Amino acid sequence: MIKATINGIAVEVPEGTSILDAAGKVHVKIPTLCKHKDLEASAACGICIVKVKGWSKMLRACCTPVENGMDITTHDPEIVKIRRTVLELILSTHPNECLTCGRNNDCELQKIAADFGIREEEFPKHLRDIKQDASTKTIVLSPQKCILCGRCVNVCQEHQNVWALSFLDRGIKTRISPAGDIKLSDSPCIRCGQCSNHCPTGAICEHDETAPVWDALRNPKKHCVVQIAPAVRVAIGEAFGFPLGANLTGKLVAALHRLGFHAVFDTSFGADITVMEEASEFVRRFRDGEGKLPLITSCCPAWVDFLEKSHPDMIPYFSSCKSPHQIVGVLSKTYYAKKRGIDPADIFVTSIMPCTAKKHEIGRSDEMFASGHQDIDISLTTRELARMLKQSGVDFASLPDEQPDDLLGQYSGAGVIFGNTGGVMEAAVRTAYNFVTGEDMGKLEIADIRGLEGVKEAKLEVGGEIVRIAVAHGLKNVEYLLEKVRAGVKGGGEPPYHFIEVMACAGGCIGGGGQPYGVTDELRRKRMRGLYSEDEANAIRYSYKHPAVERIYKEFLGKPLGKTSEELLHTEYRARPLYVK
Amino acid sequence: MPDKTILLKYTSQDAPARTKEFLGLFTAALRELDALEGVNITGVEDIGLYDDGLVVRILPEGITYRNVQEGDIRRIIELTVKKGQIIKELLAKPAAKETRVALRNCGAIDPDRIEDYIAAGGYAGLKRALFELKPDDIIAEVMKAGLRGRGGGGFPTANKWQLARKAQGARKFIICNADEGDPGAYMDRSILEGDPHSVLEGMIIAGLAFGASQGIFYVRAEYPLAVERVEKAIAAAREYGLLGERILGGAFSFDVDIRLGAGAFVCGEETALLASVEGRRGYPRPRPPYPTDHGLWGYPTVINNVETLANVPPIIAKGGGWFASMGSGKSTGTKVFALTGKVRNSGLVEVEMGVPIRDIVYSLGGGTLSGKAVKAVQTGGPSGGVIPKEHLDTPITYENLAQLGSIMGSGGMIVLDEDDCVVDICKFYLKFCVDESCGKCAPCRIGGFQMLEILERISEGKGVPEDLPKLHEIATAMQKASLCGLGQSAPNPVLSTLRYFEDEYKEHIVSRRCLTGKCKGLLVYAINQEKCKRCKMCQNNCPAGAIPGDREKGFVIDASKCIKCGRCAEVCKFGAVDRR
Amino acid sequence: MPKLDKAALEKMLSARPAGGDWIKVGMSTCGLAAGAQEVYDTLVAEAKLLNAAVRVEKCGCLGMCYAEPLVEVCVSGMPRVIYGKVDKAAAMRIMERHVAAHELVDGHIIHRGERDAR
Repeated sequence: MIKATINGIAVEVPEGTSILDAAGKVHVKIPTLCKHKDLEASAACGICIVKVKGWSKMLRACCTPVENGMDITTHDPEIVKIRRTVLELILSTHPNECLTCGRNNDCELQKIAADFGIREEEFPKHLRDIKQDASTKTIVLSPQKCILCGRCVNVCQEHQNVWALSFLDRGIKTRISPAGDIKLSDSPCIRCGQCSNHCPTGAICEHDETAPVWDALRNPKKHCVVQIAPAVRVAIGEAFGFPLGANLTGKLVAALHRLGFHAVFDTSFGADITVMEEASEFVRRFRDGEGKLPLITSCCPAWVDFLEKSHPDMIPYFSSCKSPHQIVGVLSKTYYAKKRGIDPADIFVTSIMPCTAKKHEIGRSDEMFASGHQDIDISLTTRELARMLKQSGVDFASLPDEQPDDLLGQYSGAGVIFGNTGGVMEAAVRTAYNFVTGEDMGKLEIADIRGLEGVKEAKLEVGGEIVRIAVAHGLKNVEYLLEKVRAGVKGGGEPPYHFIEVMACAGGCIGGGGQPYGVTDELRRKRMRGLYSEDEANAIRYSYKHPAVERIYKEFLGKPLGKTSEELLHTEYRARPLYVK
Repeated sequence: MPDKTILLKYTSQDAPARTKEFLGLFTAALRELDALEGVNITGVEDIGLYDDGLVVRILPEGITYRNVQEGDIRRIIELTVKKGQIIKELLAKPAAKETRVALRNCGAIDPDRIEDYIAAGGYAGLKRALFELKPDDIIAEVMKAGLRGRGGGGFPTANKWQLARKAQGARKFIICNADEGDPGAYMDRSILEGDPHSVLEGMIIAGLAFGASQGIFYVRAEYPLAVERVEKAIAAAREYGLLGERILGGAFSFDVDIRLGAGAFVCGEETALLASVEGRRGYPRPRPPYPTDHGLWGYPTVINNVETLANVPPIIAKGGGWFASMGSGKSTGTKVFALTGKVRNSGLVEVEMGVPIRDIVYSLGGGTLSGKAVKAVQTGGPSGGVIPKEHLDTPITYENLAQLGSIMGSGGMIVLDEDDCVVDICKFYLKFCVDESCGKCAPCRIGGFQMLEILERISEGKGVPEDLPKLHEIATAMQKASLCGLGQSAPNPVLSTLRYFEDEYKEHIVSRRCLTGKCKGLLVYAINQEKCKRCKMCQNNCPAGAIPGDREKGFVIDASKCIKCGRCAEVCKFGAVDRR
Repeated sequence: MPKLDKAALEKMLSARPAGGDWIKVGMSTCGLAAGAQEVYDTLVAEAKLLNAAVRVEKCGCLGMCYAEPLVEVCVSGMPRVIYGKVDKAAAMRIMERHVAAHELVDGHIIHRGERDAR
């Protein structure tokens, strides 16, 4: 343990603790700007500087480890003045557009300027002449607002291994952009939105599509239907002061009803269908030897984009099943439309997703129009929904719970855990087990694939056979698994894994790019617990046992992988260029 | 060999052509006094003394007389040439001398011939380090020498090696920092081009000292000749078994690689250099951890400057005590300076630490080219400050320069005379730092830019009194909150000139004048109507069409179009163009 | 070229320097930028023409960059001298006068006293 003093207060911390964290232990709050609790310190902005006795330079608290005997001062007139000057310099390059900015009232730069009591613009404004990039129609880059904290580059390069964003040029001309200043839509960007999720300002925002949704809701001709993803229910509370990870499904349904949606469905039901289809696929490959192993999940659109661009040789391993999101979409405009006698042309499907990539998924290929219309009209992020709720005149916090609507709104516990890393695998395995052995799986929790380790592996015994499964989240961790698979193919013999689940975002969808700001591992765990709790409390935990699932197959789909399923619920993949010329 | 050689030069500015005249007189006098036999007399280009009238030197004794008058000539011939007697009142004081240690072989050997290097004592240091010393002994020798980093940091080299020796790591690296980026500094280039083996030998000895078996030359790409000469030296050393497996048949193996820079001054900073070698963007990283603990690819790494390494072989060959016997106080040994600017003899000079700056500028540098007074001497490049003329007697050491608000830096020494404007000089250095800023941290990226804006306004006559405290405010933020040395030291020229030349700044701001005329924004050209003869020469020669008028009504200069090139003043035969 | 061992290096270190007349031309960047290549080539050509037994070699920066191209001449029977601001014509004069005729060339010598007394 290391002993030091901070502002005269003695502190004892494990070796390697940063001055910033050590200060937190004695209730000293050192201001930071570029540091995000979820990411390694980039040491860029210079706000967190502190004095250490005996050192001629001031040190950055975010990245300097405490050493024995350090005598640290975090606040004195000189330090405060310098921090203020640095902040004023940063503000001199930032446009004064707060009132019309997507981060108004939820912006880290605003907050620190308010905390520091900035009242004057000390330095003349120098704005860079760089245009906005809305080319992806998913994520909008506004480089004029960028304070060059580097979080987005860090996430895109080191955590996601996508390398769509990088620093270009140097000095005052530095900007963050895809290489060669090309459009983001022409770059390797997979639209996972992790950049927007970590950005402290309005420099990277989700493409706000709430306006067409309001229009549809107000249009008497439109029959508006909405689906909520699992991950949304355990994060929406953060915008309204609820305890972290609180599961607010009931309130969400009530609020969406109040907004004017005629039916509120649940993506978890789509997840149950996905499980039926994908478990059947698995059985075909594993038991019947048709097709390649491992089977790799394909419900994450950013992961799909990543594989199509960077690892197209692995396409044959993909599950052909669409994502639960798309499944609820197509079923809304076919099954639901038919059952209720509504013309699908009049149905407007909105989805609330923790994800920015879903905005792109809904138009990804012709197969996303399998109903004869665009299956999902608009996909909104959790953040956009929070804004809609705040505009809506509904007092969200005090709403009584309501039930989702019939046909596509009920789901098993397996469906709702899709939002967690490892959840898709657990859910699918429950049903696959039954499809192979004819029995119900006993112990449902597979501890080895739960948690936040980047790569998780387990071996399961299914009907006398060993099934090797693996789960990865955060695309940096995918490399390891794919290399093992390729080595296995080259060497011949048994594949290293039979079933792989990949989520692009760390933590799975609960850590998605469209979720509320300020994610940390602690928050991820709380959101995950919120979903696992719902599964544990659910009377039905196997997808194949849920009456709504049984009914839709009986009335409409026939059987998994049958003709109707193939038409509506499955899709194809193709190699895509990393850079569009 | 002639018995005597007489060299002479008339060294005062007033009539440089008089050398020939005196040569004639002297030769005639020699003939007359029957002393011409066996004497070789010639006029020279440069005799080492300046502004000292007629200077006469008699070889082989090396007796130098200055301010020799016509009447002294016969005396000199009778007494000194014929009888070897010295005329005390004419004797010149010994000039400052150079002590070439780092530059010991530059100009003496062919850098492409390793046999030349060895014949001059090369690799004797390595031999001793390999076969007679243990690693701790090597470090102790360098510690005794008191060698400090010559790249600018001045950090004790032995300490750095000791830290790396203690650090844990499966591999260790020694990197030679040849990214020399200070404008006007080219000491490292000359050492690499003129004596690359000295640096190579230093690296191998360093590797022995702390346990590195791999060295890297990081050379800026703008030094192609240096790269070529280093490549040849490496090839020759490998051939001779002085590099590679089992050097000189001993147990130590060591090899080197060359990596080129890519045009970034910031990559001379240790952590940015490491990023560059690793193939990443040249961004510095926070220290601690220091490269000696966590350097290249995470392994303990020592980064030493070219000149530092060039000093290592003679330290090991001759002993640390020998090196420490030169210099002054904690600044032992010698330093190479790149003496440039308004000085007569610009070039590289190597002197013992502790030599007064005045000696370097006047005795070795020959004073100013224009004959005007020295205003200040700028040391340390864009990270340094100015030493005004009242402090020129300061002995040059790390500590003294720091006290005066400047730094030794890598050895750049720029002489400024009365015609140089300090605001202009600061703008130049600050612009350099702004151009070269990597952009990672806000204090340097934005602070430097805002400071430059203020200086530009001041030099255009748009300064306001609040500008001075604002410069101080930004400078403090940059010094304390920048991530690396570039940002931390970029305000130094401004702070230093504000310390000594605040009046000149005020003149620019309040009086809106630049007395040297360098700040074009404050220059006004006007036609003095009394002197003007209406010859139209100015209008004819104005490249900007800024002189409207004709022969009847006369001519005026339109200030809004005037580009201040000065052509009109040049072509006017009547001196009727005023420059204010 | 067999690799050196300790003994072989010692032998080389204690070897007597090669004698004979030589001319060294400063051929680092400062010299080359001022025209040292032409000076070097001229000296080599002139030496051949006059059949002079003098080695023409290159060396590094002598430090007096203000006077480049620099040429140092060591011819037995003459004082060792550095010539500065040498151009093609001066190079030829150096070979004809200093080397061949043992006469110092007027006006180009850089002699800074103790510093350059070798």
